[in-house]
Amino acid sequence: MPGTSRPSLLARIDFGRNETLLVLVILAFSAVTALVAPSFLSLPTLFDLLRNSIVMGIFAIGVLLVLISGGIDVSFTGIAVFSLYTTTLILTRLGVPVPWWAAFLLSIAIGTALGLVNALFIAGFGLPTLIVTLGTLSVIRGVLLTFVGSTLISNLPVGLKEFARLVMIRGTTAEGYFFSLPWAFAALVGVVAVTWVLLQYTTLGRSIFAIGGSPESARRIGIPVRAVQTFVYAYVGALAGLAGIIHASLARVANPFDLVGLEMSVIAAVVLGGARLAGGYGTITGTLLGVVLIVLVNTSLILLGIPSTWQMVVIGALILVGTGVPAWQARRTALRAG
Amino acid sequence: MLKKLLLTSSALALTVAVVGSVASAADTKYTIPTIVKISGIQWFDRMEQGVKKFAQATGMNAYQVGPPKADAQIQVQIIEDQIAKGVHALTVVPFSPEALEPVLKKARDKGIKVISHEAAGLKNVDYDLEAFSNAAYGEHFMKALAACMKEKGEYATFVGSLTSKSHNEWVDAAIAYQKKNYPNMKMVGSKNETFDDQQQAYAKTQELLRAFPNVRGFEGSASTDVAGIGLALEERGMSKDTCVVGTSLPSISTQYLETGAVDMISFWDPADAAYAMDTIAVDLLNGKKPAAGQDLKVPGYGKITIEGNVIYGQAWIDVTKENASKYPF
Repeated sequence: MPGTSRPSLLARIDFGRNETLLVLVILAFSAVTALVAPSFLSLPTLFDLLRNSIVMGIFAIGVLLVLISGGIDVSFTGIAVFSLYTTTLILTRLGVPVPWWAAFLLSIAIGTALGLVNALFIAGFGLPTLIVTLGTLSVIRGVLLTFVGSTLISNLPVGLKEFARLVMIRGTTAEGYFFSLPWAFAALVGVVAVTWVLLQYTTLGRSIFAIGGSPESARRIGIPVRAVQTFVYAYVGALAGLAGIIHASLARVANPFDLVGLEMSVIAAVVLGGARLAGGYGTITGTLLGVVLIVLVNTSLILLGIPSTWQMVVIGALILVGTGVPAWQARRTALRAG
Repeated sequence: MLKKLLLTSSALALTVAVVGSVASAADTKYTIPTIVKISGIQWFDRMEQGVKKFAQATGMNAYQVGPPKADAQIQVQIIEDQIAKGVHALTVVPFSPEALEPVLKKARDKGIKVISHEAAGLKNVDYDLEAFSNAAYGEHFMKALAACMKEKGEYATFVGSLTSKSHNEWVDAAIAYQKKNYPNMKMVGSKNETFDDQQQAYAKTQELLRAFPNVRGFEGSASTDVAGIGLALEERGMSKDTCVVGTSLPSISTQYLETGAVDMISFWDPADAAYAMDTIAVDLLNGKKPAAGQDLKVPGYGKITIEGNVIYGQAWIDVTKENASKYPF
């Protein structure tokens, strides 16, 4: 009988995989939240969740690439805020209406340039990635606040205002209020698609895995390690520029004090998603699940009735467990194999 | 360019407001520097307007200096330099009050009068000037929120962080006032932390609406709180049915005041605070101590109260959609 020879659905699920674990945690968390507060199960909740995942999701994809390549980047929030603010300032000074995509291109260009600064120190001089990006984070932010500007721009250029109003899906609740998903969400989808193709189907993508696994071996089989590293940090810079300008557009303000401070949550999301800090391994699915989990927990603690004083503790504990369990599992597997 | 224009026009507005109301204190020309936390940011640019205004109106040598970055040590050095210059009085907005105690003691030992701002608890000063008492400020928010909500319904409160002393004093006073005076109002959840981040205020508002579908009032504390709350409510199309009040600045919140997503914001004007500090300094130099109930002839400081060495005004400014354009900072 075919039914007996095939393993059951449950048995086919690989519980050792990080993604499986994350999906289960997300489902369990949602179930508990829905039990405590039935209002959780609604379309507005889903749309809010997706809307609040856009910027963090784009950041996380960039961080994933860096982690796979065996490095770490903590400067991307600084790059993002520098790009968004400088772009807004330039467009405001110009005074001529510029379409939103031109603003996006400018911000991405500035982000890429700043990413190349990281690349210069990391690929060019071979300095440790954490040290370099910690340094560039403060330099970039310092230059921004000292020389570019430290005042909020709440009257955004027309193009950015228009972009924020582009709504992909809109709905009305029973009480007659709205919920919507902005087109900015398509940017995250696009970034995911491009990065997925890059990692799966291109030599460049496979080289990123290779240099993260073992830079020496990669070099010996002829991978241009420095060139690949340069690409990685420029790419992260570009994504940061994109995430930054989207953030400003959706928040309707260019705030030079924004975003910096978010980097640890993003890195935590990526590590929760199974990427190894040691390099050479990480998946986009896992990363996105990690982002969803962090955003979900971050925006459900009031619903669960957890007082503000405990919210930080809960989030910290979740990260500890989420990253600790896979690490412990990996060690057990290694011990059994050895 | 635009900023400069706005600042100039605001200075003019201020001139109109205070001109003529200044008591010409004495014939002596005193040198009174104002040392601020950091130079070049909007808040202290605005404060400098008040200092210049005072110098112009009284003929005193009043001017403002401050470190290029927020650093207690540089601020100490600047104060040392000013003492060496032989100034008559110092007015100071400390970055880190404790770090200034020794240098301020040195100044006072030399007979220099010292007035501080936003540093209640500082010991080595003649007086500290506060724009208002935190409790009175918090109660004033609850009165505004209650008036807007017709004294009934659920409301939520936001603070920048649970460790921010002033934010929590404002909100705690507001809650206490509500409990005493508006029995049909009810706070939902606990004080929400936003970490001075608009996105956090935005996401927390969405969540509050899920958790408490009937919440209709919001009080923010950090300057970006009401902007995040306003954005979330506007996207929901709830602006008309909700009331939002809180501390903020017009430069941050005007777009939400205009659409009605935010109903009222309050702040204090640093230019007025500087003017009031300089007034007290000159009075002291002329041998006149500030007295409770005294009128400093500065808007918001018309009837000061004194507790120990702290002087309080009632210098909050309420801004709604009608008068937002008057305060370009």
